[in-house]
Amino acid sequence: MNKPTILIIEDDQAVRKLISTTVELEGYQYRTAENGREGLMELVSKQPDILILDLGLPDMDGVSIVENVRGWSNLPIIIISARSDDQDKIKALDAGADDYLTKPFSVEELLARLRVILRRLRTDQQSSNIQSSIIANGSLKIDYAAGIVWIDDTELHVTPIEYKLICLLAKNIGKVLTHNYILNEVWGKYYDDVPVLRVFMAGLRKKLRQHSPNEDYIQTHIGVGYRMLRIES
Amino acid sequence: MVATDLSDQEDLAYVSETSQRVGKLKIYFGYAAGVGKTYAMLSDAQEILKDGMDVVVGYVEPHDRPETTALLHGFEQLSPLSLSYKNMTLQELDLNAALNRQPDLILVDELAHTNAEGSRHQKRFQDVEELLRAGIDVYTTVNVQHIESLNDQVSAITGVVVRERIPDRLFDLADQIEVVDIEPIELIDRLNKGRIYQKHKIAQALSHFFTIEKLVALREIALRKTADHINRKANQHASVSKTSPAFTNEHILVCLSGSPSNMKVIRTAARMARAFSARLTAIYVEVADDDPSESYQSSLQANIRLAEDSGAQIVTIYGEDIPKQIIEYAQASKISKIVAGRTKHLTKWRSKQSFVDKLLDYDPNIDLHIIPDNQDGQPPRKKKIVDFSFSFLESLKSIFLLLICTLIGLWFYSLGFSEANIIIIYILGILINALLTKGRKYSLIASIVSVLIFNFTFTEPRFTFKVSDPGHIITFFIMLVAALITSTLTKRIAEQARQASRKAYYTEVLLETSQKLQKASDEQAIYNETAQQIMKLTNRSIVFYPSEAGHLTTPLFFDHGNAIGDEQSVLNEHEKAVAEWAFTNNKRAGASTQTLSNAKCLYLVIRGREKPLAVAGIVYDRSEKLGIFEKSLAIAMLDECALALDKEKATEAQNELYTEMQQEKLRSTLLRAISHDLRLPLTSISGNASLLSASADKLSVEHKQALYQTIQDDSAWLIRLIENLLSITKLDSGQLKLRTEIELFEEVIDEAISHLDPAIKEHALTVEISDDLLMAKMDPQLIVQVFVNILNNAVRYTPTGSTISITALRDGPLARIEISDDGNGLTAEEQAHIFDMFYTTNSANPDGRRGLGLGLFLCQSIIEAHGGTLYVKDHQPKGTTFGFTLEAEEVSTHE
Repeated sequence: MNKPTILIIEDDQAVRKLISTTVELEGYQYRTAENGREGLMELVSKQPDILILDLGLPDMDGVSIVENVRGWSNLPIIIISARSDDQDKIKALDAGADDYLTKPFSVEELLARLRVILRRLRTDQQSSNIQSSIIANGSLKIDYAAGIVWIDDTELHVTPIEYKLICLLAKNIGKVLTHNYILNEVWGKYYDDVPVLRVFMAGLRKKLRQHSPNEDYIQTHIGVGYRMLRIES
Repeated sequence: MVATDLSDQEDLAYVSETSQRVGKLKIYFGYAAGVGKTYAMLSDAQEILKDGMDVVVGYVEPHDRPETTALLHGFEQLSPLSLSYKNMTLQELDLNAALNRQPDLILVDELAHTNAEGSRHQKRFQDVEELLRAGIDVYTTVNVQHIESLNDQVSAITGVVVRERIPDRLFDLADQIEVVDIEPIELIDRLNKGRIYQKHKIAQALSHFFTIEKLVALREIALRKTADHINRKANQHASVSKTSPAFTNEHILVCLSGSPSNMKVIRTAARMARAFSARLTAIYVEVADDDPSESYQSSLQANIRLAEDSGAQIVTIYGEDIPKQIIEYAQASKISKIVAGRTKHLTKWRSKQSFVDKLLDYDPNIDLHIIPDNQDGQPPRKKKIVDFSFSFLESLKSIFLLLICTLIGLWFYSLGFSEANIIIIYILGILINALLTKGRKYSLIASIVSVLIFNFTFTEPRFTFKVSDPGHIITFFIMLVAALITSTLTKRIAEQARQASRKAYYTEVLLETSQKLQKASDEQAIYNETAQQIMKLTNRSIVFYPSEAGHLTTPLFFDHGNAIGDEQSVLNEHEKAVAEWAFTNNKRAGASTQTLSNAKCLYLVIRGREKPLAVAGIVYDRSEKLGIFEKSLAIAMLDECALALDKEKATEAQNELYTEMQQEKLRSTLLRAISHDLRLPLTSISGNASLLSASADKLSVEHKQALYQTIQDDSAWLIRLIENLLSITKLDSGQLKLRTEIELFEEVIDEAISHLDPAIKEHALTVEISDDLLMAKMDPQLIVQVFVNILNNAVRYTPTGSTISITALRDGPLARIEISDDGNGLTAEEQAHIFDMFYTTNSANPDGRRGLGLGLFLCQSIIEAHGGTLYVKDHQPKGTTFGFTLEAEEVSTHE
């Protein structure tokens, strides 16, 4: 696969320059747009592989751009937001964004997020070829057909809800899933007891750590949600 | 002596201080009907209309005079208010329409007119006053016989007592008086031509009123009155100080009574006061044993009202000896002249001196003006015609006492005691009788009956009224006199005691009110206390309308629980409108007043130092009027209430000011500290960046790397500082709404660790969470910040290689978090101030930069906002421990 093309929609020139220089140094191709309208034009005409989107644009609401894009494309979206618009961030993730960065962020952080996304793109390509019923991530393995979770070939005893949780995270590996999204998927609509979710997550994480103390499979995003990290094996 | 200001001095000056502009009043003043006042007023107004002013005809009497009617042409006329009264439709000035219309100038004919029942005010001049207060100029007309102070003179000339009168203050208030004057001959001529009255009235008018002599005299009075007015105006302009009324040193005291002839006395005093530019006080002495008749009461009220209207301050005092009380008051208030009527009823039967003599006796130096009083038919101050209705209980007491005396007498007689002993027993009985019974009649009758019984039972011949021994006649006479004196004196002592206790009660109640109000912590409590006190006094329900920003707010109703005035009948739109009127006009209104008197309550304004604060409504029962004593005490209580409210408002304002000042101080300190601390890293960043861009090629790689590192560190420092500042402003401005959720400490601590200063790598960090499911309700962002701040402090202030440990454990209902280091620790003094804003320790700082001293202050604010506590203590064996507690939460899961 060629080095992917990244579209950067960011109105602040300095930040735009910082991002473009960073990705260029890593060998990515990039295009930039200063506002939402221009960005959407680029998205449609140039078909980039990854979108880095600032939520605070002068002409459009960043969340509505995410919604718009998700109407016709699955391309990975990383959103950038200021700390003060936490709620927008969650809205954008709920609308289908994959990951987020909070200003001020470091260059390393940005590159790490890009790497996560690239790995996902790669596995997606592979898995689209072989419709596998088994997902493997590091020493973690989930057999959907059998409904069993393994770590290092030992079966991990999980409760039905824990199983649902780990499957959901694994299917969306690398992607930040918001509390609401997880609750909706696992418990169904109208259930919004985040503390209960936390308790189950804590239990699941504990079981994973017991068997594989050196790996952190599930990453917590305070106030936002959870994400399963891809572990290089 | 207890004196209470009963007057409701609602002068326009008071209002003018608070509201904008007061309208100007112009009076067209004539000496008789038909001189052409209305005509003159209308033609003047026509001129003004041509000048482009907004002129409206409020009310002009529909005369049958074509010239006058013609002049009405071209004016906007308010349609009159039609009120039906006893099958008649009466037309009145529509005051509300006039106030809503807000013209520049309004024409209102016949100032002295009495409004029909159902109007807001009883008198049209009150309508005019309200219009003036609303800032509307008024043109009006009035005849000389309608002026209050001239009433006696006019009626002396014409023989007609005019009922419709206006108080002199209105005349004095007028900015312009225009005399509409024609020769009396011409006036009679006009009358004859039928231009004043309708034909059939002409003859009557000519014979009664319209005689040349009378008209000339009236004309003279009118002109003199106008001249007086001009004089006064001139003097007023001359007096420099406008704030203090231009009173001379003269202070006139007029004695009030309930006699109709007292009006004349009041009017004379008012005239004198005007002539001397003196202050006028009207005094009424309420005698403790008084039981005034109904008609006396009502004519007293009328006199008090007249005195008020004449600009007098009303003072009521309580006492036994009327002349003495008056003189005492006069001396205390530096009265220069006393005006009194020569009335018979003020002369007590037991004093040989007249009232006037006694006044002079007490103070021979006072300037006393006696107004002759020729009028008859005054109702007595007391029901002099002996009231023959006897109370059963009181009679029984008297009979019982006489019976006992007789029994003891018989016993004494059987023992052979002398008559003197028996007489003494009767005298004792009378004394007890006087103490126990109400009303003199019982003891008086008992005195006489005692003598008769004594005669009948004990003197020879016994059991007859015959007297055999002439010496006994003397005995009976002396016994009667002794009995009468005893009863009178005892009665008097009892009365004085009652009066003293009443005075004491008055003072005590006021003192108690004042003490209770002092303790009242807020407005609600003040109203509550006042209501309780007034209810105790009057036995009536009370309603308060507090005000806010110049408007009355939701009423507070205090139900006394009696039948009259339940909540529904008192709290309605109509009643509220009356209270509202009282408030905006700063005058009492409602039941028993002249304004909107059909209301359920009497509304009294609670006046603060600067403006009316609230309105109190006392439910009024028409069948049982409030006594003067109760009313004055209630007003005194409301004054106390106003004082307390004023104080409360002042304290409130002061507190607000104080908090504001504190916040302002904090803000400026913060700003100063920030601008200092921002400059340092910014200087370093921009300096290093410009150095790098200008001479990158000359610098060695290591050198460049060091500069890059500095820029990075300084920016990181700035970022942390700004995060803290943002949180502080959030907390400080009070807009902080904690976005609390139940969070796992495990997750929060993980998150915090990921945000730490990279220098943490040079320290050993241990985390120990006793319970994986330890949870608390918190705003995760802020609690993360608490961890980050404390941990970064530990990183910064401990030597490299130190151990930093985080422990989280369950402590009863609390989650206890402690962050410890094994660094050099803090001194006790440092620990005491560590949470102060801008406090930084003097300990050497690895990066050589002072912190802003915001971090721990912020942590404390955050933890406190969560309802927890942040503390610092020594860590064993060395180092420091910071800890905080939050309320732990349990989450139950069902699977």
